[in-house]
Amino acid sequence: MSTTDTSALAVQAATSATGRRFSPLASAKFKQNLRWSNWAPAVITFVIAAALWQITAIANPYVIPTIDQVWVSLINDADTYWANMLVTGLEVLVGASSGIIAGFILAIIMAEFQVMERAVMPLVVVVMVTPIVAIAPALVVAFGFGMTPKFIVTALVVFFPMLVNSLAGLRDVDDRALDVMKTLHASRWEIFRDLRFTGSMPYVFAGLRIALPLAIVGAAVAEFVAAGQQAGLGSLVTIAAAQANLPVTWASITLLCFMGVVLISLLALVRKRVLWWSDGAAVGR
Amino acid sequence: MKRLSLIFTQTANSSGRATNPTIPLGCRTNPPGAASGFTTQGVTVETAQPHAGVHIENVSKSFGPDGARTLVLNQVSLSIKMGEFVSVIGPSGCGKSTLLKTVAGLIDADSGTVMVDGMTVKAATKNKMIGLVPQSPALLPWRTVLDNVRLPMTVNPKANANRNLRDPREILESFGLGAALDKYPGQLSGGMQQRVAIARAFVFDPSVLLMDEPFSALDEMNRDAQRLGLLDFWQSNRKAVMFVTHSVPEAIMLSDRIVVMGAHPGHIAEIIDVPLPRPRTIDVYATDEFRDLEGQVRGTLREVMGQKSA
Ligand SMILES: Nc1ncnc2c1ncn2[C@@H]1O[C@H](COP(=O)(O)OP(=O)(O)OP(=O)(O)O)[C@@H](O)[C@H]1O
Ligand SMILES: [Mg+2]
Repeated sequence: MSTTDTSALAVQAATSATGRRFSPLASAKFKQNLRWSNWAPAVITFVIAAALWQITAIANPYVIPTIDQVWVSLINDADTYWANMLVTGLEVLVGASSGIIAGFILAIIMAEFQVMERAVMPLVVVVMVTPIVAIAPALVVAFGFGMTPKFIVTALVVFFPMLVNSLAGLRDVDDRALDVMKTLHASRWEIFRDLRFTGSMPYVFAGLRIALPLAIVGAAVAEFVAAGQQAGLGSLVTIAAAQANLPVTWASITLLCFMGVVLISLLALVRKRVLWWSDGAAVGR
Repeated sequence: MKRLSLIFTQTANSSGRATNPTIPLGCRTNPPGAASGFTTQGVTVETAQPHAGVHIENVSKSFGPDGARTLVLNQVSLSIKMGEFVSVIGPSGCGKSTLLKTVAGLIDADSGTVMVDGMTVKAATKNKMIGLVPQSPALLPWRTVLDNVRLPMTVNPKANANRNLRDPREILESFGLGAALDKYPGQLSGGMQQRVAIARAFVFDPSVLLMDEPFSALDEMNRDAQRLGLLDFWQSNRKAVMFVTHSVPEAIMLSDRIVVMGAHPGHIAEIIDVPLPRPRTIDVYATDEFRDLEGQVRGTLREVMGQKSA
């Protein structure tokens, strides 16, 4: 029941984020995607994996739960799961968006002023090689058990891939288009506005593809170390695992996984709308 | 020479601003490329005509790190008059693109001067007097054809004052792209994309047009159509054109003069006049004069290449 709610939400978010117009090409592509040779192999893999899982679970009842046990738990405690998923979702939403925005803005600054890259990049690298699992408890000490440390951890995890990819994208302009702009005596702002910004989008989306799943990792890890009153799916996993409650543990894991799938699917939808120009080949880039 | 270029920069800068209220009307910037000839403001107006076009004098350029620099252009001097079509041909790597980029202000020469309509290249780009057609169309794939051609108008808008801006639609229609205005570059053939790139270079009415092998990526049939189209358009909008090419027939078909360059280091080996009457059509290919010229250009090229291996 809660599942249908989220998917309805997801669809709504997708349409509002991507605008209204549908390209005529999309429906043709959609039909092509429906051909069985496209989806059947993946479905077969999933069915085999589920069967193996089920066999293993029945043989080892204290190691992993059976799929139907997980399902029953999800249905019976739908409200609890839903509430916890909202908490984790909020952490991902706030953390990821601030990390994405911060990463992109810093990339712009670094792309425009090379001094800034030389000045700030070493610090960024030092922060990024520090294991996030180690930073998280320290942040809890500093900011308490509320949402703040979770936002920060999630943002931190997202920040780096966004920064690196955006920077590469802003730098990778078509040299010849740049030449044309320069003979027109285009200002730096004009070059950014007309060339670099949109031109960087393929890289930005590649960065998002890495960053969004990481955001869920970040939120879950932050909840592991700070299973406070706010709960969340990550806290649910730790608490249930400590009590050896296998169905709840795996139901929470399943929902985390589900969130990741939703995020990636949304991203693919948005990407199609924003980057329609990038996939068509012969453009002379 | 250095000091001279400095003086020109200053005059161009102080009077290039059309909005400057202290400049009397008569001395204002004329639209570059206006039929009556460009008036070099501030400098005596009567003698302005000789400045029109491109003047390259003793330009040298080398690349590479200190100690291991290779000379790419050696004392190159060349003038292109207003309304003159000059092709530059020569073996690969002889510095044709480097020369073109120096005129475009994309590369600074080590020594020598480049003047465009009596201004330094820097002042000329500031006034948007140079149109560039690069080797690939280099269109922005996320903009429609029309918006790609509009780009030069929206960039550096200060230089739009007192200028003969053309209607992008009209120019595209005259290039046979009337049906493609709202298409995206990815939906066009290579030849059409290249025409859009040429329209983009013409649209803001620059006085000098620089083209670096614009048709080299097209097949032969397509190239012929593009050449004729370009010639047609240029005939009614005479600019000073510098056209880099690898094709001898193309150079003859289009040009008033052909500059043959040699390599190691890049230099001008010979300048060959093309006295074929205009307007030219494909029939030109079949004339004896054309064949004679072709023999002459190929001969010079062979000589130039021979020097290299000797
Ligand atoms: N930015 C650069 N740095 C170092 N060397 C360069 C640079 N640009 C050009 N060169 C060298 O200068 C020489 C001339 O290059 P250029 O591109 O002007 O030749 P070209 O005549 O246009 O050749 P092609 O016909 O192949 O286009 C080449 O040997 C090239 O390697
Ligand atoms: Mg070249």
